[in-house]
Amino acid sequence: MAAAADQIKQAMPFTTRYPELGTGPLDVRPLIDPELFELERERIFKQSWLYVARAEELAEPGDYKLRRLDVANTSVIIVRDRNGEVHAFHNICTHRGNKLIPDQEAQSLGHTATHTLTCRFHAWTFNTDGALRGIARQESFADLDKSCLGLKRIHCAEWEGFIFINLAEQPRQSLVEYLDGMADHFAGYPYHEATVRLRYSTVLNCNWKVALYAFSEAYHVPTIHKGTFPSLARLEHTEIKCFGPHSTSGIYVPPVPGLEPTPVTANLGGRLRTSDRHRPHLELLPENINPDNRQDFQFEFPVFFPNFLLHLGAGNGYPGMAYFTHQFWPVAVDKTLWEGTNHFRPPETVSERVAIAHTNALHRNAWLEDTSTMEDTYQALASGVLEEMVLMDEELMIRNTHKHWHDYMGI
Amino acid sequence: MALLPEQFSQLESLAETWALPTELQRSERRWAAGPDDFRRFYDAMLPVLDQVLDYLDRYEPDNVPEPALPLYRLALAFAEAAPHNELYDCSNTVPNSFDAHRFVAAHGEIRDR
Repeated sequence: MAAAADQIKQAMPFTTRYPELGTGPLDVRPLIDPELFELERERIFKQSWLYVARAEELAEPGDYKLRRLDVANTSVIIVRDRNGEVHAFHNICTHRGNKLIPDQEAQSLGHTATHTLTCRFHAWTFNTDGALRGIARQESFADLDKSCLGLKRIHCAEWEGFIFINLAEQPRQSLVEYLDGMADHFAGYPYHEATVRLRYSTVLNCNWKVALYAFSEAYHVPTIHKGTFPSLARLEHTEIKCFGPHSTSGIYVPPVPGLEPTPVTANLGGRLRTSDRHRPHLELLPENINPDNRQDFQFEFPVFFPNFLLHLGAGNGYPGMAYFTHQFWPVAVDKTLWEGTNHFRPPETVSERVAIAHTNALHRNAWLEDTSTMEDTYQALASGVLEEMVLMDEELMIRNTHKHWHDYMGI
Repeated sequence: MALLPEQFSQLESLAETWALPTELQRSERRWAAGPDDFRRFYDAMLPVLDQVLDYLDRYEPDNVPEPALPLYRLALAFAEAAPHNELYDCSNTVPNSFDAHRFVAAHGEIRDR
């Protein structure tokens, strides 16, 4: 037995640091069962803190963002009021329930110069702090208490410029408590300076966890990305740590001998790598990220439970890229809205903008490689043939998410 | 009337089809391109890439004047097309990839990004 335990420890040095996670296979049913999906709405997405906006998207008083949340059958307005405070409200007029602002898109930005939001049905008007301000022909309503008819508030909090909401009546934890060790681990990087956001989205015909899990490990990189990033062949996925339901890890890319950058990558990527603004800024990384100050650091790669991934590269991984994010928004058991956003510091010159377009195109292409497996995986899993999936050591972040998924679900 | 400054006249015929204002339009051009389109674009553009970018750098990125926009758009299109030459053997798709038409660039309608 001792020999077997040693062998497991040797094969899975990261996983065995978290004995509560075990080393065995995971059940597949949570990825395909429609009844469990219905429970996820209540027990996960209405209980967790969900990342919904960057503070720079709401830079000025009166700026707002609409975010459709199919998983909670709602739509949310996140708005900066005239005093600069950010609020979140259900996008519903308290009169007869029309959407206060139409939301054809999954997310969109807007601005109200008057710091009010007016329902286009009967012109009820609300202040951006949620108070009901005006009712057309108020004298024709009986016993109306305007103070009780403000917008339906949602808990909202900000950490490092990332704005989260929590749909619970009373969240079990504050945002910082919820983020656990992640709050400190990622604190201090100037995320707010990366104001160029290039976002892609698609609706994948798969369960949200199939997409999340595919993006939660780097074991796939040498195979899936050999087309776009042959330079990643020797990638190391290491320093994997769990903080409650969240987890994080470091990605390093030792150079591949004999592999030179292609001419356009050398030219355009080189421009970003030598510009003071866009060059690698390892010195800006929080102290526990890239702790050995390795020059081949690619990015710190975490999973924020339940549906948010942040890759912090500080310009040292993909040329000029400060960080990028993914989100996985469930629509149905077999349908997921995926969103990926590349964040750059703004270009000072036209050539920097062209170079940013190149990094962005390469990364978009890598995402096209990533998303190519997910519908196949889901269709195959939905057959029910595979009841369990086995994980290697560097798939630990999936294991951690899956365990906490069970805890949240109470099953 | 020429689209490009005189010193880049050899790129004129490329500008006629590639110098498009939005990422979405440039993507549609890429998806419709054949291997020879990619080769012609790359072979003409790579030798003068530095000169093109030097020329454009006399302007602010948010304030490129109308006469210089076709050259700017051509440079953006090249940045997006070059990976097809350098990595994908001049195919108009990324090998073993998801359907690019289903991938929506939220910024794709924004001009000159």
